[in-house]
Amino acid sequence: MEDFGRMILFAGEAAAWALRPPFRPELVLVQMAAIGVGSAFIVGVTGTFAGMVLALQMNVALGQFAAEGYVGGSVAFSLARELAPVFTALMVIGRSGSAIATEIGTMRVTEQIDAMESMAVNPIQYLVVPRVAASLLMFPVLTMLFNALGYAGAFLMGVVVARIPVAPFIAHTQEFLNPDDVLHGLLKALVFGLIVSVVTTWRGYAASGGARGVGEGTTRGVVMSSIAILVADYAITFLAVGVKAQ
Amino acid sequence: MIEIEDLWKSFGDNHVLRGIGLTIAEGETYVVLGGSGSGKTVLMKHVIGLLKPDRGMVRVGGLEISRLEGKLLTDARQMFGMVFQGAALFDSMTVFENVAFPLREKRRSERLRGAEIRRRVVEKLAVVDLGEEVLPRWPSELSGGMRKRVALARALVSDPQVVLYDEPTTGLDPITTDYVDGMILNAKHKLGITSMVISHDVASAFKVADRLAVLYDGHLVAEGTPAEVRESKDAYVQRYLSTWFAKQ
Repeated sequence: MEDFGRMILFAGEAAAWALRPPFRPELVLVQMAAIGVGSAFIVGVTGTFAGMVLALQMNVALGQFAAEGYVGGSVAFSLARELAPVFTALMVIGRSGSAIATEIGTMRVTEQIDAMESMAVNPIQYLVVPRVAASLLMFPVLTMLFNALGYAGAFLMGVVVARIPVAPFIAHTQEFLNPDDVLHGLLKALVFGLIVSVVTTWRGYAASGGARGVGEGTTRGVVMSSIAILVADYAITFLAVGVKAQ
Repeated sequence: MIEIEDLWKSFGDNHVLRGIGLTIAEGETYVVLGGSGSGKTVLMKHVIGLLKPDRGMVRVGGLEISRLEGKLLTDARQMFGMVFQGAALFDSMTVFENVAFPLREKRRSERLRGAEIRRRVVEKLAVVDLGEEVLPRWPSELSGGMRKRVALARALVSDPQVVLYDEPTTGLDPITTDYVDGMILNAKHKLGITSMVISHDVASAFKVADRLAVLYDGHLVAEGTPAEVRESKDAYVQRYLSTWFAKQ
């Protein structure tokens, strides 16, 4: 609990430093490349296969009611609201979240963060703020990439392999999928980006005790942020569905 | 230049500093000697405001560092350069980027142009006998001694009033140790900088110090010029110094 409180204070400090000059857009761009471009391949592959598998399963399930034409719409709906933001976040945690915790943790235990402070540079502003900002910008972009390739995978399986006619596949997608569904997923992506970046930078920042401490910090960062996004996913979905039901 | 009064610091039940008091004059090289875990680094981190005391006061250049917070503390740190025990070079940056870092991160109004930054980086690397050929190299490509030299160049590049050295000779061979000692003296004589050196290396301490103190069990058990400290009657000081003088 005490650790959680410290992390919240850390996040607050990062928010305060984000609003104060000097602003370092070049560092945000570097992190956008590391988090966004660096994770694009793995997110794309995961998205494509998730869409393909989902289309195959839906084809079997909906085939029992002779409703194969709804495969495209069902897959697009599931991707947009749930699978794309959650899978993207899990993939980015593995690809970039662990790297963030390790890099900052190593800087902590080798006194590079102390050195930065001694040179009148605030390490939270220099190291944490760009990573949080880049995550907030790149998580929605990666989620949209997941959506697009997931739907392409579903189209390949549904239309090319399972021979579902193109017209109902597309028409039911337009019918099922509203802009609200995509926005719902993007809102989740934004929240997940915040969670992943704050948790992994914090675990690195709080690392101590040499290589072992860095390893522990990275593991805790990955585990904590993975669990946190699943809890947050439930909370956002519950609130959104609850609000819609009113 | 540096005044420390009645400084106390504990971590849980571990009472590291128990009422430390010392004064370092401008342009002086002051060495704090002590064994591992004696609290030397903790004392130094108070001077630059990386740690806050439980009690007592640290004043540097008229500013009470121990009371400053946030931006005021960040600004006050501009008067320091610090050389860390493991050099603490940024391993994601080249030698040039490391040494240029304090200049590039200055306030917008004080920021220098690219050519001037390069000139000053080359100038400070020359103070530690390193040429331009090291500029594009990564810290992982440097020897321990070279890393320390680059760290000192980085500490000197913003022309600080005070340089803090944390165990500058730890882990170095005798020749490189001798070189680093020379480098500290060189920085003092050429640039007139006030220096505080934390060390457990008796030979090195007696070579570079104008005055020195011995830290034991949270107290300064001896303080004065090297000759005065060598004459100290304190049993710990005698035992500590004999580890080196007995070999001579």
